[in-house]
Amino acid sequence: MENIEKQLREEAGKLLSEKKVDVLIGYGKGTLPYQAVPTIITEPGEAEQLVWNPFCTVNLAKYVHDVIFQHRESQKRVKPEDRTKKIVGVVARGCTTRSIIIHLQERQYERDEVVIIGVPCSGYVSKKKLWDALEGREPLECAVEGDTVKVKTQEGSRSVALKDVLSDSCFTCRYNNPIIFDVMVGDPAPPMNPEAEYEIVDAFESLPDDERWAYFTKEMSKCIRCYACRNTCPSCYCKICFVEQSGPKWVGVTIDESDTQVFQIMRIFHQAGRCVDCGSCVEVCPMGVDLRRFLKKLDKDGYNLFGHRAGESLDSPPPLSERSMNDKEDFIFEP
Amino acid sequence: METKLIKKELLPGIVRGLAEDTLVYAPVQEEDNIMFRVLEKDMEPILEFANTKNAPKNFFFPQAETMMRFLKKERGAELLEVPIAAREAVLFGVRPCDARSFVLLDYVFDDPKYRDPYYVERRAKTTIVSIACVRPPYSTCFCTSVGGHPMSKEGADLSLVDMGDTWLAEAVTEKGEKLLQNMGDLPGADEAAVTRKNEMAEKAAEVVKADVPASTIKPWLDENFDHDFWNKIHIGCLACGTCTYLCPTCHCFDITDEMKKEEGRRARSWDSCMYWLFTQETSGHNPRPTQKERWRQRFMHKFKYFVDNFGAVACVGCGRCVRYCPVNIDIRKIAQDISKL
Repeated sequence: MENIEKQLREEAGKLLSEKKVDVLIGYGKGTLPYQAVPTIITEPGEAEQLVWNPFCTVNLAKYVHDVIFQHRESQKRVKPEDRTKKIVGVVARGCTTRSIIIHLQERQYERDEVVIIGVPCSGYVSKKKLWDALEGREPLECAVEGDTVKVKTQEGSRSVALKDVLSDSCFTCRYNNPIIFDVMVGDPAPPMNPEAEYEIVDAFESLPDDERWAYFTKEMSKCIRCYACRNTCPSCYCKICFVEQSGPKWVGVTIDESDTQVFQIMRIFHQAGRCVDCGSCVEVCPMGVDLRRFLKKLDKDGYNLFGHRAGESLDSPPPLSERSMNDKEDFIFEP
Repeated sequence: METKLIKKELLPGIVRGLAEDTLVYAPVQEEDNIMFRVLEKDMEPILEFANTKNAPKNFFFPQAETMMRFLKKERGAELLEVPIAAREAVLFGVRPCDARSFVLLDYVFDDPKYRDPYYVERRAKTTIVSIACVRPPYSTCFCTSVGGHPMSKEGADLSLVDMGDTWLAEAVTEKGEKLLQNMGDLPGADEAAVTRKNEMAEKAAEVVKADVPASTIKPWLDENFDHDFWNKIHIGCLACGTCTYLCPTCHCFDITDEMKKEEGRRARSWDSCMYWLFTQETSGHNPRPTQKERWRQRFMHKFKYFVDNFGAVACVGCGRCVRYCPVNIDIRKIAQDISKL
């Protein structure tokens, strides 16, 4: 891990000093022992701030999109002949590269606008699972040693198995190594457990309708409409989200049951064929809403019906962007 | 004011008893979260907890409420009054930081010039019972840096202190005294218990280690609206509403009219300065066009504008925004960084 971090800093510093990138997006050290902070650096000297450890959580592809689009916005006031591109470097694990592939497939930016520093990934620690494993005791210091997380709490030191506190998404991750990259640091990480990927969906599908609905309504009742899930999602890049549109108004602003459910249902459906299961939405949710079960169902359908896994390769077009003569159409006749 | 002792095993029953004829809002376990909720018959209040996920402000200032209804008529509209839902209530189990938040919210909502009847009516009918932090629960607590104390009684009507096998119940206001009398025949606390409580308070304050220069940065904030420092604090911010929605003192709201066919309602709902829509104008112009300006607003509102308007920092140091920020943007660190400039 330290070795990867060292190489990462070197590569990042090199990209910045050789002016191959204008900015570089990575993770920096946080103020809490179990959290890293998304960081944007512009000077080679700042590369020392970068960290790489299992507390690096949110998918950074979101920031790639943000930075490029903010730059384009600022270029609107510049004469067309004087406009520049902003080249963005990014530290990317498997899921981050999948999100970048989706951006590229959806023509959000060009491949030459992003320089990818690939990092091998063996999963990140879910802070909720960590707090749960400590039975609500606050982690005051955390260090990952091999497959153990050593934690100091007010009541003394504890060791927690890393696999017990990994995010659910990481545990069954199919692409934990970068799919596309310009520079790779470290050796590829060993595979996770993708065979179990759809277990939660299979179990959920086997429940009767009313139980599934009851679970959905229970989970959604926790939502406080803070939009952390939407805002961290690299695939949620609409300039104006439907919840914020007022002409027509799609959904009410309150936390009435129907308003919350409509927001979540529509956001989830907007992820059909576009969710890479990075787990960021689940990780950032302050209320612990189980969004993954529903997103994973769409992912499973995408694979079973169209043989498609979101962002798995630049050459596999998303099912909703492509039409093929072999597309199933029986649903048209049998709703 | 009266000071009584309540045996540990009796208190849950007393709280449930209160809930029989009064509205009681108390911390309850809801899956992984401890939340303030209306205490229903089959619900168990939690008395030993670090702090709740949500702040108790929701009780006086709900996330969404209907202010009035209207019916579309051939010409104009018929307005229908919606009475303010407020009845005798007890807000039980508030941590001292959160209890202080009501003192700050009163400045805003109970201002003689702009009195908010929704907040004020509920507030007037509610008795607040606080549970002191004998052991301040989190390393992210910083109440002592913003004028609070882990065992402060400010904002509470009745204060409870965990003395081991009993609760020391200290009435702070007449409302609190009345509630204490309603709790049944309780033994009075002796001198020794009060002395011991005072010793515990000293120890508790020492545990809160955080040193956040919340008030000393004010002169810098007064002078440096355009400082380069603001260019970096928002990096990584998701622009979500977690910090503002979980904050006990954030109080910005929006008013929206919603129509369904011929019927409509005017709703008030929480808003967040972190949202791009917050000051978006109809013209398309936004005086706070990027997250930088929005973050500066949140910080300035707490540590400068509120101080200018009401003479107090609009933060009680509960640390929720620090603990639950999805990307670990830490308001304590921003204040500390400013103090070093």
